[in-house]
Amino acid sequence: MSGGEGTREASVVEAQALSKRYGPVEAVRGIDFIVRTGERFGFLGVNGAGKTTTMKMIYCRIAPSAGSLRVFGLDSAAHAMAIKRRIGVVAQESAIDPELSVNENMLLYAAFFGMSGARARLKADELLRFVGLEGKGKAHIRELSGGMKRRLSIARALMNDPELLVLDEPTTGLDPQGRLLVWEKLSLLRAQGVTLLLTTHYMEEAARLCDRLVIMDAGRIYAEGTPAELIAQYAASDVLEIVGDAAALPDPATLDGLVRRSERHGETSYLYTDDGPALLGRLGALGFESRRHVARPATLEDVFLNITGRELAE
Amino acid sequence: MSLRTYAAFFSPNARHVFRRNLLAWRKYAWSSVTINFAEPFVYFLAIGFGLGSYVRLGGQTRFVSFLAAGLLAALPMNSATFDAAWGVYERLNTSGVYESMVTAPVDPREIAAGEYLWQAFRALLYGTLFLIVMALFGLIASPLALLALVVVTLTGILFAIPAVALGATVPYQEQLFYYFSIVITPLFMVSGVFFPLDRLPVWARDVIWFTPLYHAVNAVRPLIAGRPTVGTLGDVAWLVVFIALFMALPMARLRKKLAS
Repeated sequence: MSGGEGTREASVVEAQALSKRYGPVEAVRGIDFIVRTGERFGFLGVNGAGKTTTMKMIYCRIAPSAGSLRVFGLDSAAHAMAIKRRIGVVAQESAIDPELSVNENMLLYAAFFGMSGARARLKADELLRFVGLEGKGKAHIRELSGGMKRRLSIARALMNDPELLVLDEPTTGLDPQGRLLVWEKLSLLRAQGVTLLLTTHYMEEAARLCDRLVIMDAGRIYAEGTPAELIAQYAASDVLEIVGDAAALPDPATLDGLVRRSERHGETSYLYTDDGPALLGRLGALGFESRRHVARPATLEDVFLNITGRELAE
Repeated sequence: MSLRTYAAFFSPNARHVFRRNLLAWRKYAWSSVTINFAEPFVYFLAIGFGLGSYVRLGGQTRFVSFLAAGLLAALPMNSATFDAAWGVYERLNTSGVYESMVTAPVDPREIAAGEYLWQAFRALLYGTLFLIVMALFGLIASPLALLALVVVTLTGILFAIPAVALGATVPYQEQLFYYFSIVITPLFMVSGVFFPLDRLPVWARDVIWFTPLYHAVNAVRPLIAGRPTVGTLGDVAWLVVFIALFMALPMARLRKKLAS
């Protein structure tokens, strides 16, 4: 791959040994990943994992301290302006200009990409319609709800027809209805061939929106795969959660290999199994009766817990 | 200082940043005009006519016309300083306006250039209004007074430079008040706006020579009176050189904040 004009390639972002250091703090510690063209790629992790720093390096807001980062095949430090022209950014705090109207926000942003006049106005109308803000063009920003502002920043980020849309925690702070609306719009974008790169600390969001994802913690990437692959590899198909009763619980090793692994966090024991009903039956046969237990399919939450030893939900 | 510094002034993005401020300003234009005009106008009436009736300057000059020209020269210092320092701090740290600008292909130097252009516009607008009032009071001697607006505009750009730099630097917005009260207010008092400096000790005049408002006042007053000299040109040159020398500094501050 050569520098200069990037073309449509198999991958949109390629990072190798990518690091970012702020003084003594190493926010990102040598990560490798590839985002392929047209996919929805996610970074799952808790706050402080280094997700936002990674996103900022990708949209050329900050320069990497070490390692290589290529976006559209272009070196991110040397070709920041060329990359910015082809990227859309929905930053964590919707940085919508509070002193401008909805339309003014859209058109000012368009102007920075050299778009003006009727072409920019038509595009702005089309995008406001797309995110369900039609008729809100003249509205003041303070009249908008949190969810509307987030959708406005998505619309604004699409003004330059980006090939890659970077969303940093696109639904954090939204109510369930607002979150659903954002998810719906992102699914539509994916169908239009836009590559989506997003960060989240919601397991459900990652499972629902991402074709592939990485699990990030303390500046490192610990696992990578499709949600199903990650669950199969790091959890099991089912989880039996037993609250309390730890002393009475039989040693998992004695359960006929039904338990692939087990964990204890606080009051709760987690038994990972590929056959939930069989495990419950076996426990019952051994005379163990739990007053409080839940049997459920394994999720990314379990994967996260297994890999990092920490819970994702706050 | 590179060519990029100067090129930023002529970039389309600097114009868009200017237009962004214009759009925001339009929503509170009347209060802004009132505030920026009312302050010098109150000085003009109270000190010019009130105190001025007790003051005799040497020669033919009436105190009120002496003061009015000084207030016109000082007006862009006040209009640029408060608006740029406060506004830049806000757009950089609070409202995320700059943060979203640099997700588009915008160079922080272009943002600074747009802020300078904006302060040039404000200085020209408020200066013109004040000049009209001076004309209504019969204080304009010659059409050369229109050239004073060039000096006023330059002064707006000049004072935008430290204001943008500070707005892009201080950690807390309230710290800007140190600059307003320790630098701007004394400059307003000792630069020859309210009284001629010829009775000050030489050392004091030498110190004041190194401050910008003094030269703005020195350039505006003869233009209003219709009697510019070679010295007037020297004062304008002083302002231009100051701008050329320090223009890049706030640009570097903004780049540090928005591209690292």
